[in-house]
Amino acid sequence: MSEDSSLSVAIDAKSVVKVFGNIRALDGLSFTVSPGEIFGLIGPNGAGKTTALRIISTLLLPTSGSVKIFDLDVFKQAAEVREIISYLPEEAGPYPNLTGHEYLEFMARFTVKSKTEAHQIVNEAAEICGLGDRLKDRAKTYSKGMKRRLLVARALMTKPKLAVLDEPTSGLDVLQSYRVRDIIKRYATEKKVTVIISSHNMLEVEHLCEQVALLNKGRIVAEGRPQELKDKFGSPNLEEVFAKVVGFA
Amino acid sequence: MRDPKILVGFLIVPLIMFPVLGYVMNLSVQTAKESAQKATVLVVNHDLEGNSTDLINFLNRYVKAIPVNVTTVDAAIPLLSSNNATGIIEIPQDFSQNISTQTPAHVKFYTVFSGSGLFENVGSTIVSSLVEAYNRAMAPNLLVPEDSVIVKGKRVEGISPSVLSSLVLSQAFALPITMIILLTYSMQIAATSVAMEKEEKTLETLLTLPMDRFSILAGKVSGSIVVAGIGAIAYMFGFNYYIGSFTGTIATTAPSVDLVSLGLVPSLFGYLLMGISLFVTLLAALALAVILSAFAQDVRSAQSLVSYVYPFLFIPALALMYLDINSLPFWLRTIFYAIPFSQPIIASKAITMGDYLTAGLGIVYVTAFTLVIMYVASRLFATEKILTAKLRFRGLRKGKTPPAD
Repeated sequence: MSEDSSLSVAIDAKSVVKVFGNIRALDGLSFTVSPGEIFGLIGPNGAGKTTALRIISTLLLPTSGSVKIFDLDVFKQAAEVREIISYLPEEAGPYPNLTGHEYLEFMARFTVKSKTEAHQIVNEAAEICGLGDRLKDRAKTYSKGMKRRLLVARALMTKPKLAVLDEPTSGLDVLQSYRVRDIIKRYATEKKVTVIISSHNMLEVEHLCEQVALLNKGRIVAEGRPQELKDKFGSPNLEEVFAKVVGFA
Repeated sequence: MRDPKILVGFLIVPLIMFPVLGYVMNLSVQTAKESAQKATVLVVNHDLEGNSTDLINFLNRYVKAIPVNVTTVDAAIPLLSSNNATGIIEIPQDFSQNISTQTPAHVKFYTVFSGSGLFENVGSTIVSSLVEAYNRAMAPNLLVPEDSVIVKGKRVEGISPSVLSSLVLSQAFALPITMIILLTYSMQIAATSVAMEKEEKTLETLLTLPMDRFSILAGKVSGSIVVAGIGAIAYMFGFNYYIGSFTGTIATTAPSVDLVSLGLVPSLFGYLLMGISLFVTLLAALALAVILSAFAQDVRSAQSLVSYVYPFLFIPALALMYLDINSLPFWLRTIFYAIPFSQPIIASKAITMGDYLTAGLGIVYVTAFTLVIMYVASRLFATEKILTAKLRFRGLRKGKTPPAD
């Protein structure tokens, strides 16, 4: 790939392998994500989705292979990568003894130095999460859904170049999930945030993602636009596409 | 009870720790007794007649009594170290005359005060026993001992070594107790701080923020110091009030002793050294707690893991509170010197006796230890080990599911 074309790639993963003891969590994973795209990693439990997202977020190092985020190597330039990404883990929580507002302020100060900018970002986050006056309450009083909304807001409020969202609508009801998906789409199109998400919810992925990669046992078994995959496999939905690809259907 | 970490931390550790402590104390008593029985005392004999010679011969049956050819006790003090002597006996000129006429003969016993500890008095106790034995052989209360001490090469009249030792000991409790409270509190806080991040699922987010990983570690350590320091101060206020509430009402017939004039209170520089020693030891303890908590999955496990370190904290603190480290066998002395948490207590006793070199060397040793531990802790934070230390243990167990995705 030429130097010029590599800069137009938000995520460039090449032959990524990750081994934990006897377990080969990722087995030669390769994919690219374009800037401003919403990319979905889908697959069953144990497929390697979270491991892949953790590597992209600089939490884990690949055993072999390389991952570059906007041409920054996640291993050699981890500190620079962290400046431009925002990561929402699947299992994440806010600090229980901080209020929602305090938590957002605390997080904002890591990214921006000025109080005014931090204030603006926090206001935006308040709008994203839609928690209203509940932001004045301590996070430990929140329901699971409220916490998740707060965390999604935290992940998006700084308008990162790349948002890494692991099961962003986990624990949210139908309407809240709809709202979050809408916000993610808005951030990708209006604020040019590249998004990579993992999800079990195929409907959500179909609705949200422009490109998807189906992951199974650490490898990509199919990749493309949702409609293209459905057409290719003659399936009405991605769920059936996946079942066919792994030999279940 | 099925969690081995809890079983070991809260049950087995105390069951090992206190017997070991008892063994150390017993060893020290035995060593003190043996040393006392092989004790050497110098004799300044102003009498030079038959009865004084008889006394010296009597003493030589049990200790090594060496007559020295000087005219004053002050002149004999410089000869103490070359003769490995722990005391001076001054026999007055009228000793034989008094013995002959069955008049009480006053003999001065000067014991070298080494600031060693609870069993420092064993030596003077043995001399007292010898005096009693002499009196039983000759006549009751014929030999009247007058106890005094030699502190840092200076003669101090009228103060018995047991009184001085008790007073110094009571002051010597403060540092070990403060250290135990401060270190246990701060280690628990540091370990909880990291483990809480795992338990509340905030750690992964924290590690992906645009912040230097060492800053995260430094934040955990310094936050623990502040909280533990406030807790220790509060605890010491309460503890001092508790001690003062009943000791203040106990009447004492002991003469008042000014430790400052005796040079048994550290100077400002001494306090500075003690502070540095305690601080670097605290840093080592905190870094160790952070490392241990990285292997825990939750707060309870982290607290259990940290409790494994307590024997290395409590045993030296409780033992050295009472004991002179130099009274221990070589192998045990080496172990205590090697334990970093012993150093502040060793330093405080050494500084009290004016030995700044021992304190300084201890600071250098603990600083080196701390740097190594801090480096390991920072490597842990800088790499995926802070997360995978947990994952790896899971993978080693049979039948367990692989790490999430």
